[in-house]
Amino acid sequence: MKKLTAILLMLAMVVSLFSACGLTDPNATATPAQNNNSQADPGNTNPTQNNNTNATTAGSVTPVPIQGTIRLWVGDESAEFYQKICNQYVQDHPDFGYEIEVKGMDTGSVAGTITNDPSAAADIYTVAHDNIGKLVSTQCAKPITDQALIDQVLADNPASFQNVIYSTVGGKQYLCGVPYISQALFLYYNKALVTDEQAKTFEGLQEAAKAAGTKAITVTGDDGFNMSFALLATKASDHSTTVKIYQGAEAVAGGSKGTSNCQGDDTVAIVRWLQAFAADPNGFKWASPDGWDADLNKENKGVLAVIGGAWHYNTAKAALGETNLGIAMIPTFTLTAEATEGLSGVSAGDVYRGGTFADCKCFMINAYSDQTKYVKEQELIRYLSSKEVQNQSYLEVLNVPAYVGAADFIKQCYDEGKVTESQYNLAAMQVSMAEWGIPQPFLTGTLNTYYYSKNGPAVFRAMIDKTKYPTTGDTILAETESVAGIRKGLYLIEYLWMHGVNPKSFPATLPDPA
Amino acid sequence: MSNSGKKIKYKSQSRSRRVSLGVTYLILIILSVIWLIPLLWIVLSAFRCQYHPDGTFIGTVTSDYFPKYVGLKNFKDLFSMTFAGVPNAFGKWVLNTLIIAIVCCIISTFLVLSVGYCMSKLKFKLRKPFMNISMIIGLFPSFMSMIAIYFLLKSIGLTGNPEHPEYSIIGLILAYSAGAGLGFQIAKGFFDVIPNALVESAKLDGCTSFKIFRQIILPLAKPIIIYQALMSFTGPWMDFIFAKVIIGADNPRYWTVSVGLYSMLFSAFADKNLFTQFAAGCVIVAIPIVTLFMFLQKYYVEGVTAGAVKG
Amino acid sequence: MSSKTKVPKKNKLSLPERIGKAFSNFGKRFVDGSLGTKLSHFIFGAGNFYHKQYIKGFLFLVIQVAILAFMILCPEVNGTPYGWKALRNLSLKYATEGSEFDPVLGFVSFNSDCKLMVLFGFVTIAVVAIYFLVWNMNIQSSYKADMDKKIGKKPTTFTEDLKELLDRKFHVLMLTPTCIAATVFTLLPTIFMISLAFSTYNQQFMNENGTNLFHWNGLENFKAVFTGEGILGFEIRNRFLPVLSWTFIWAIFATLTCYFGGIILALLINKKGLKGKKFFRTIFILTIAVPQFISLLAVRNLLGEYGPINSLLMNIGATTQPIGFLGLKPGDSESLAKFMVIMINMWVGIPYTMLMTSGILMNIPADLYEAGRVDGASTTKMFFKITLPYVIFITTPYLISSFVGNMNAFNSIFLLTGGGPTYTGYAAGGTDLLVTWLYKVTIDQGWYNTGAVIGIFTFLITATITLVTYRRSKAYNEEDTFQ
Repeated sequence: MKKLTAILLMLAMVVSLFSACGLTDPNATATPAQNNNSQADPGNTNPTQNNNTNATTAGSVTPVPIQGTIRLWVGDESAEFYQKICNQYVQDHPDFGYEIEVKGMDTGSVAGTITNDPSAAADIYTVAHDNIGKLVSTQCAKPITDQALIDQVLADNPASFQNVIYSTVGGKQYLCGVPYISQALFLYYNKALVTDEQAKTFEGLQEAAKAAGTKAITVTGDDGFNMSFALLATKASDHSTTVKIYQGAEAVAGGSKGTSNCQGDDTVAIVRWLQAFAADPNGFKWASPDGWDADLNKENKGVLAVIGGAWHYNTAKAALGETNLGIAMIPTFTLTAEATEGLSGVSAGDVYRGGTFADCKCFMINAYSDQTKYVKEQELIRYLSSKEVQNQSYLEVLNVPAYVGAADFIKQCYDEGKVTESQYNLAAMQVSMAEWGIPQPFLTGTLNTYYYSKNGPAVFRAMIDKTKYPTTGDTILAETESVAGIRKGLYLIEYLWMHGVNPKSFPATLPDPA
Repeated sequence: MSNSGKKIKYKSQSRSRRVSLGVTYLILIILSVIWLIPLLWIVLSAFRCQYHPDGTFIGTVTSDYFPKYVGLKNFKDLFSMTFAGVPNAFGKWVLNTLIIAIVCCIISTFLVLSVGYCMSKLKFKLRKPFMNISMIIGLFPSFMSMIAIYFLLKSIGLTGNPEHPEYSIIGLILAYSAGAGLGFQIAKGFFDVIPNALVESAKLDGCTSFKIFRQIILPLAKPIIIYQALMSFTGPWMDFIFAKVIIGADNPRYWTVSVGLYSMLFSAFADKNLFTQFAAGCVIVAIPIVTLFMFLQKYYVEGVTAGAVKG
Repeated sequence: MSSKTKVPKKNKLSLPERIGKAFSNFGKRFVDGSLGTKLSHFIFGAGNFYHKQYIKGFLFLVIQVAILAFMILCPEVNGTPYGWKALRNLSLKYATEGSEFDPVLGFVSFNSDCKLMVLFGFVTIAVVAIYFLVWNMNIQSSYKADMDKKIGKKPTTFTEDLKELLDRKFHVLMLTPTCIAATVFTLLPTIFMISLAFSTYNQQFMNENGTNLFHWNGLENFKAVFTGEGILGFEIRNRFLPVLSWTFIWAIFATLTCYFGGIILALLINKKGLKGKKFFRTIFILTIAVPQFISLLAVRNLLGEYGPINSLLMNIGATTQPIGFLGLKPGDSESLAKFMVIMINMWVGIPYTMLMTSGILMNIPADLYEAGRVDGASTTKMFFKITLPYVIFITTPYLISSFVGNMNAFNSIFLLTGGGPTYTGYAAGGTDLLVTWLYKVTIDQGWYNTGAVIGIFTFLITATITLVTYRRSKAYNEEDTFQ
């Protein structure tokens, strides 16, 4: 009698729970597993030892039946391209043994999606290099050990990238990300209202803006990456700056022990210059909540120029139209007498060029990916990050290649008429800007988040707006107009870089800017 | 004398009445315009052409309320749009949502009715505690349990399942309709008004509780059934938080229409000027829901009143 | 009938007496029961088999086997086990640090996933509770068959049991699906989230070894709220009161504006002699029918920096800079954003009250007005003396429920202002309600312990309000008067 239906339903629940648990896929469990006998023998599964791509000919290998799927997440814009490339690869390599399924992901949130449930993420995913530390520390990433791939990364990539793609796993340094796209900021401007000459300096833009009755320049977001043009600005004559981020540093509990500095006289002067430039009705404009393309739109006439990356190309083109879209390096600016007043390290008339974080996007292997796929995954990455595929991806989806010497290829494509002028400029300016930037240093999730998107940019914004920081709270930055106030603000940013949290209070004397 | 006086009074009364009626019309018309402005803006945006007839791009977020050029291009683009690698994504989203909404509608309505009936007409030991607990649980915002629900569903393979991404639709249906029974208050309010004598006399005639429910209560409950069905049918069209987590950011093929529309505006995918297509999508989603509302207005009012005004 | 006489009797027993009785019941059943009943204490369904109720016995047995297998075999999800291991793991003392790496194989072991340990621990507790519930049911069932036999009745057949479910036990049939679903998808997740308030689980500020490891820390988090230490204390101590007071102000204004606005609108529409009632009503209902994420985003766009309204204002020279109506940029006016969301909320909320009061207005007894007219009262006077009190009297429960509803009005804030203007260094912005703050802290930031602490505070407040008003309301106290 009794609660029979209750029993029935509970039974159904319990049984289904039970049976489904039994069904959970083996890659979700972390046991060393029994399946290391057949596939994971690194000796004989490296037929492409003699370097990448078409090294294997169909005749010399024995076809292997398809034994599963390798899933790959790339940026949405190039998903179709990589699916095509992968299909071709599988066709050309009958011994590969896996199908490849490519999915386009939202580049902005993919790292979060992975960390939420790595076991449901793809076998190989792509993220900007500054996520490497976070993904490794949350055990979402598997290091790369294939010697051929490591050699290729060493041979192809600039030293600046080499420094940021390694991470510590179990006390040892491993290669964790394989660069395949380089990302730096440059300038898009409205050719209809700005001459090429004016686009070379902030002052020129300002002059054009005065004539057009608009603001001169904006950014695509207010975070640390987009605002790097100011903090990373370097002297135009000799590329010098006193800014240091995690120099020679390694992560230690509660912060970093390397050197970070951003309160030198030059930085203070730059902040004061930007304060004046932002206060000017024809000067700098913060990112609009309506979207930067609304700002740039030729009908709205919000601003004349925007500092953005290659991934903004289509939107910028849509906002201005192809004929009006100008592309240039981030302009230079000249420090005014007001900006340098009372500062010894700089003098009025010094010319600085806006800087950028010169980042790369990397392939990474999911730690939860089945171990039997490990060797083939690395083989695939070796192919996908090869120069040939990088070049092809530039031609087809405008991804700017990350390898050393990509500039020559880009130039060659333009000379041969394979790309339009703006497509050429897009890549060429980015390559040029990379010389004026540094890769975004990355230690841990906490430290990075805080200087990149949380308090760091907020402090910077408060300084440029000459307001207090924070509005309520413990470390009140009472004013940001005087040199002392600005130096305090910069000390806050420096502290956030080092420790990832606000300091309890300001020290009586700020540490001497080295 | 007195007669004519009365007449004058009547006249003045009717005049003042006419004036006040006129004022009422005026106010109502002004209010109607205010009410319609934002909705019309979406409709106008849906028909707004992003391109000048000469082919140059005008831009999406423009400052004029009335578009310069109109056309059906947005709707065409919307249905042929490949979003996040899914060809013709919008049609698929609509279909997914329709399936989810229909199933949810059936399950939820059944749960709500059965719980409402039990709470109102059956007497048993744990009645009051059940009512109190359900009210307390209802006070926690549902997104708080989202993470846990994700992993519970994952335990039975109904989400985060790369081999069978389509299973997450079942997971979402479960997540949507599981809590439905706890929202029984309105149904209970409705059943409370049905006289107990009806139930008692049926009992004396030897009817089982099931028979009473099926043959006496359900026919009387048409308004509340329709109200509940309407509510649970429209729910999945409006939720954009739960659906994204349960279906997963990597499964745009199985997204619901609201997740898709929301992503068209607020993700990196959005770097494509999709506002007018978004508006077209909104119009397409809104039309069936609004039509349903218009037809079932009467029941909706009865439902709202039953839940809220019970004395 | 029988239940009616039994219930009040049972209620008279005090709690200790009832517990005592329950225990003596267990003893009595074991001693008095047949061999089958005795065996039932160990093997589910044994008693039913003894009484030849095979189907039922089999069902009990299957449940026992399933649950025991679940407990012993400990199925794993994402590398975290259920079953007895999950109970052990609940202490989080067995969480291990992994990250050994084998260059050939990839990882050898991962860090334990503490959040899953906690979640699965609670699930397993629920399964254990179900086990004992079924255990008791199975003994009870067997014992009842014993008793039936004693008085010469045949033990019930399976068909009879099913019939019973459609009649006297109908509520069991009707409530079980909801009970199970609500336990799994609402109760357990809620308990899980609340428990995190007593942990160090904060995704962003975990130790460097990975974000999956955390431990219980008792009441430390609540202490931190008062000392303002750490990110949790900093955020809550400085932002709780502003957010709470705005939540109340918002709820009061949103409720009252929509309430009285709705009554007035209903009066206007239902005015005698007015034509096109249905037409007007239809227009106003549009804002209810159109999904909020559409209608509110439309408003947000209208009011945007380059939206039609700002461009209109700039064209007529009312302002030179676009106005940040919704506080979407840092530095925008908080008060303006607050004012705007209350106004926009009227647009969404007034039609609800309008619909509801329309019906009530038509039901006001005509003799009330007749009496008023005889007394020579003016229209305004009649409105204040008759209409309004009548409507308010009837709709008080709605007023209360809409107040609580407004406190949790997630969409209105999330879609319009996103909680902005933001304040540097804090998750909570100027227009954030408790509920949107909670969302930002847990879903956006991953500060789960902070979210849980805020959740507990929020819960205490809303629960108090709801319980106090609900218990006082007629709906609760005079539930039976209608019946």
